[in-house]
Amino acid sequence: MDSLPVISFREKLWLIASGAAVVAAVVLLPWIGTAPLTPERVLARQSPDYPIFVELRLSRTLLGLLVGSSLSLAGALFQAMLRESMATPYTLGISSAASLGAILTIIAGLPSILGLPAVWLGALAGAGSSVAIVAGASARQGQLSSFRLLLTGISLNGICSALILMIHSLAREHRSISILQWLLGNVDSVRYSALGAFAMVALVVFVIVVSRARQWNLLMVGESWAATRGVNPGRLMRIGFFCGSALTATAIALSGPIGFVGLIVPHIVRSRISPDYRILMPCSFLLGGVLLATADAVGRTVVAPAELPAGAVMALIGGPYLIWLVRRKF
Amino acid sequence: METLLQARDLSYSAGGKLILRGASFKAKRGEFIALLGVNGAGKSTLLDILAGLRAPTSGDVLLKGKPLADVQACERARWVCHLPQGVRGELPFTVEQIVLMGRYPHADRWMESEQDRAAVTAALERTHCLEFRHRRFSTLSGGERQRVLLAACLAQNAEILLMDEPSTYLDLRHQMHCFELLRSEASCGTVCIAVTHDLNLALTYCSRILVLQGGIVRHDMPVEEAWRHKSWFLEFSERLQVEHSWNGKAWIAYR
Repeated sequence: MDSLPVISFREKLWLIASGAAVVAAVVLLPWIGTAPLTPERVLARQSPDYPIFVELRLSRTLLGLLVGSSLSLAGALFQAMLRESMATPYTLGISSAASLGAILTIIAGLPSILGLPAVWLGALAGAGSSVAIVAGASARQGQLSSFRLLLTGISLNGICSALILMIHSLAREHRSISILQWLLGNVDSVRYSALGAFAMVALVVFVIVVSRARQWNLLMVGESWAATRGVNPGRLMRIGFFCGSALTATAIALSGPIGFVGLIVPHIVRSRISPDYRILMPCSFLLGGVLLATADAVGRTVVAPAELPAGAVMALIGGPYLIWLVRRKF
Repeated sequence: METLLQARDLSYSAGGKLILRGASFKAKRGEFIALLGVNGAGKSTLLDILAGLRAPTSGDVLLKGKPLADVQACERARWVCHLPQGVRGELPFTVEQIVLMGRYPHADRWMESEQDRAAVTAALERTHCLEFRHRRFSTLSGGERQRVLLAACLAQNAEILLMDEPSTYLDLRHQMHCFELLRSEASCGTVCIAVTHDLNLALTYCSRILVLQGGIVRHDMPVEEAWRHKSWFLEFSERLQVEHSWNGKAWIAYR
């Protein structure tokens, strides 16, 4: 009788390979872009190569990695909480509410509040409001259930989407273009202080959710199954909801609503690497970042000197994948 | 024998309907109890309350004399294990990953120990699941899935086993094997309560029967006594009667 490997050699290899892919992305992707850069000039800190590399390309790559990682992890989390393989970070209405908040600041013409871009704060405020509304409306006796969360989230999604359409149709031309650009979702260079704050949120949430990986496995089977194996599902749902919402809200605030990465990466990891959340979560976190940063690099080179938004590139990759998935699974 | 589980005057209502109205009983170490009753009698509801999945409208449950509500979730899972009527079939996990979940209350936060792995292998072997332990749960038949869930319960190594229709989907050989397993668990000092509609399985393998009717425990008797009284099984159907086979063994047949 051979022993049961809890985490197989193959799964460990995938974990290492995912980490290596992140390192490769950080090292290689900043060199990809319209303006050619030479390593000698960057290392010698010569202008314009050095500022382009550090202030534009590297920060953009890091943002792509962080946004992709956060959305993938949030997708994996919501798929466990809702036991719904088609759940995404946006299923519970956070994306629509964040978009509504951002669009209101665009319409108001606010460039910045307290030194921070107003769009970020608008998106965070929108996302925060959606968390309060969804949690408040779906909680019963302090407990969240996946069914009530899903119904409330879908309803909020519909309301916010309708309001966005209404505002967009009434907006003046230049504001309308800004709204559209934001809704497409894009990865752009940001200040390192903002990246640092985002990285802190992502890492803290990562530690909180990955330390509960076995509980997500149990919840994936069912709330009763988890409860009779020693998990408090109501508490776990609350932790998951707030952690997933924090990841999604910060990602959307900095990049706009980028779709598909939170759906396809956990799916690929689940079917190709492991459904065990001890592997699925770290791999989704690492590979989601690599996928989005790569999509952004593709977007800035494929129609150079123009750029495709990373959100559009992800949709062009994710859409066909989803169709293939539907054909294969349903 | 020590009383492990006690239900005291349990009532439960849902949707304006009173499902349980004062159900009470005690279960002692070593007992294998068949929980019987017609559809809608409240068997699964009672099992859910005993497992802590639902709170009773009134009454309480004592685990080793301690109120169930005062027992922490993880400690409760080391004492009580619950086999649901079913779980969703399209789970992405392999058989061994599902059975490993039964070790959650015993393992540390992140990894299982050698002892956990040994318990899982033993449970897989006892339920005849070892040969397909690497297969995905979603690719199994209904009966195979049921055996995997039973294996997860056995791996949990709890002192009280609450089984909601454990023989569902199983072929005849595995129905008997399942009840033999549960009887052997009871003989090792656990309490096993199994909801079943198969009166012959209940009377062959269990030590005691509880019949729920109208939300209360209408009949509570040892199996030896159950063979002698017709009153309890006539509540299921008037067509039932006790027959004897060529070797003198009694069984319940229908006319």
